[in-house]
Amino acid sequence: MKQWIRWSGLAAFIVISLVLVALFWFVAGPLIEKGIESFGSDAADAKVEVDSVSLSLSPLGFVIHGLTVADSRKPMTNVLQLDKATAELELAPLFLGKAIISDLAVDNLQFGTARTTSGVLEKKAVKEDEAEQVAAQEEAASSFSSVDLPSAEEILARESLRTEQAGTEFQQSYSSNKNAVDNALSNVPDDKALSQYEQEIKALTSGSFKSLDDFKARKKKLDELKARFKNDKAAIATAKKAVAEARSDISDKLKALKAAPGEDLDSIRGKYQLSAGGAANMSALLFGEQAGEWAEKALYWYEKVKPYLAKDEADSAAEEESPKAPRDGRFVHFPSDNPWPGFLLRNAQLTASTASGNLLISAQDITSEPRVLGRPTRVLINGSGLKQVEDMSVDIVLDHRKTPGTDTLTLNIKDWQLHDMNLGVAGAKLASSLVQVQGLVVVSRGKLNAQSDAQFGRTQFSSKGKTTFAKELGLALAKVQQFDVNAKASGKITSPDFSLGSDLDKQLNAAFGARLKDKQAELEAKLQARLEQKLQSYIGDYGGKLGEFNQLDGTLDQRLNKVSELAGQNLEDYQAQKEREAREKSEREKAEAKAKLDAEKAAAKAEAERKKKEAAEKAKDKLKNLF
Amino acid sequence: MLSMLAKLLKALNSESAPGQIALAFSLALIVALTPMFTPHNALIMLLAFILRINLSAFFLAVAAFSALAWFIDPYAARLGESLLANPALVDTWRDMYQSDFWRMTAFNHSLVLGGLVISLLAAVPVFVLSKVLINLYRHRLLAWFNKLKIAQVLKASKFYNLYKSIAE
Repeated sequence: MKQWIRWSGLAAFIVISLVLVALFWFVAGPLIEKGIESFGSDAADAKVEVDSVSLSLSPLGFVIHGLTVADSRKPMTNVLQLDKATAELELAPLFLGKAIISDLAVDNLQFGTARTTSGVLEKKAVKEDEAEQVAAQEEAASSFSSVDLPSAEEILARESLRTEQAGTEFQQSYSSNKNAVDNALSNVPDDKALSQYEQEIKALTSGSFKSLDDFKARKKKLDELKARFKNDKAAIATAKKAVAEARSDISDKLKALKAAPGEDLDSIRGKYQLSAGGAANMSALLFGEQAGEWAEKALYWYEKVKPYLAKDEADSAAEEESPKAPRDGRFVHFPSDNPWPGFLLRNAQLTASTASGNLLISAQDITSEPRVLGRPTRVLINGSGLKQVEDMSVDIVLDHRKTPGTDTLTLNIKDWQLHDMNLGVAGAKLASSLVQVQGLVVVSRGKLNAQSDAQFGRTQFSSKGKTTFAKELGLALAKVQQFDVNAKASGKITSPDFSLGSDLDKQLNAAFGARLKDKQAELEAKLQARLEQKLQSYIGDYGGKLGEFNQLDGTLDQRLNKVSELAGQNLEDYQAQKEREAREKSEREKAEAKAKLDAEKAAAKAEAERKKKEAAEKAKDKLKNLF
Repeated sequence: MLSMLAKLLKALNSESAPGQIALAFSLALIVALTPMFTPHNALIMLLAFILRINLSAFFLAVAAFSALAWFIDPYAARLGESLLANPALVDTWRDMYQSDFWRMTAFNHSLVLGGLVISLLAAVPVFVLSKVLINLYRHRLLAWFNKLKIAQVLKASKFYNLYKSIAE
């Protein structure tokens, strides 16, 4: 047995192990320091600097002294700075290369501190000038210089008007339909032609046929005329159809044209915020900049954290895609109360100094592998007794245990005393207000869904602007005692759609409504007059001509009737005419004979009567002579 | 490297027990087939130092078997994966996982478990085979080799001088 044991080997092993531990001890501090600076700079896209890192044995851990993280957008400002961060490490996981920090305590965490040197990474410095120029241009473009209401002429010149479009369509319709009707009318017989037809028909159908050839010649001519009547009737029908279509199309276009000024006025009213809906954007105007600034800050931090949140999801997705075991192997985890992910910060307590007071930030379960840990990351920010806020809590839950991950932020602010909040519009300021805020933000699958409600009470506004608008705004705001603001954001996290609503709009409407009523009426009247002018310029020459089509329709009806009537005329049959004439002659002779006979009878009767009367007279005279 | 090879040759040619060299090979196999920085490898290193095995043979064998491991690792990882997912063993793994000690051994790492199983299974055959081959070398190959002319030439070389200086 003794032959198999080498005691000197044990001593050598111990010496080598101690040398390795000592080497690690001296090198670990600088290595961690460089690691934080390198990894942090990549993550923050700005300089991250550490004064020193020291290791401690009991408890096992390390202390970071003097950490600064520069703001990538403001190189002479630190996003955060801390004096000292003490981390306690768990020993057992370290043997497997897993960094599990049981506790992290941070002293004197500060935000937005000034730097003495630029925090821009060297590779970024070149691009900075260009970015500044772009930012200056954007700032100029977003200034509120265009708030003053434009004149009616400016509005009409700037807007794409429906009246103009409808006017052009009306003119085009009239022109094309007029051509179509004129073409159709060119084939329709006029009054002269109809008169000629009448004479020809009369000549053909009157008088007796001199002979059979005469009859045939007339018949041929009449058939030719009837063929022309048929064509004329078709031409008149075509013309009537063209007129009907023209009348319908032009009527529609005219109707649209007449309605267009009203539509334009409605559209302009909404757009230039002259009516009740006009002040709807006022809250966005007043608070949009501030809300945008906060949203930008929140998104800035979220974008920094997001790659690490999504890392585990990406890894697991890759695992699902290629279920083969990697050649370097992997850790297979089992259910446990105390899992060991690659990196875990179990508990962190930070006290942050801000201009408003101290914030207590606690974080639990910050890990690179939430799936292994089985718990979501939670960050709770509490601010009680702040200078301007009675109580504030922000509860952040980053849950990436399953794909897709869901990140939730719940915000509650109680009794926030706002003072001299510059609204950025016409010199207006929210002089003082007591605000309550509730907000909920959910991010999942790269989509943002956020809602925030703020109740502003005991509000006092001030305005030092000297423009008409500023004065009007100041007077309108002076009447507002309390209001609510609702902010919503949804869509892609990189480019969400923001919307702000508020009952301030209604209140401003009421206040503004009275102040601006006259101006609105004046402007609307001017707009209406201009639009009416435009309407007349289109409709003036053509409107009356629509009546021509109605008249034309009546004329065509008359002509159609006339042609139909002429087409109904027929030539008498030759044999029939001759028989009729013979019959008429016979009847005429009979009548003459009968008349003659009757006359003779009447004469004879009269003679007989006369003779009878003479005989009576004679008898009477004889009788007289007797007496 | 050259001196280490010389030392190995010395060990092979010396009166060192063949079992000491064969054991070095077996232990080296375990270190080579599993990830280097694991607690069980620290234990193997301790054994290598304490037991009177030939350290030159051990380190050379670690290098040689590491080259072999490049081909074996994917299969070892797959074996470890299947063992860790084996329903009959899952309860055992789960129980072991609750203990910090066992978790420190990285038993739940697929390559560690697979590599360890393969190397432990292969350790005994490697030990026996090595021992047989060393005996064959000493009794037959070395005697035959020494009679060759090329051996005479080699003995006149710088490498042989180095080997001799170490052997003395």
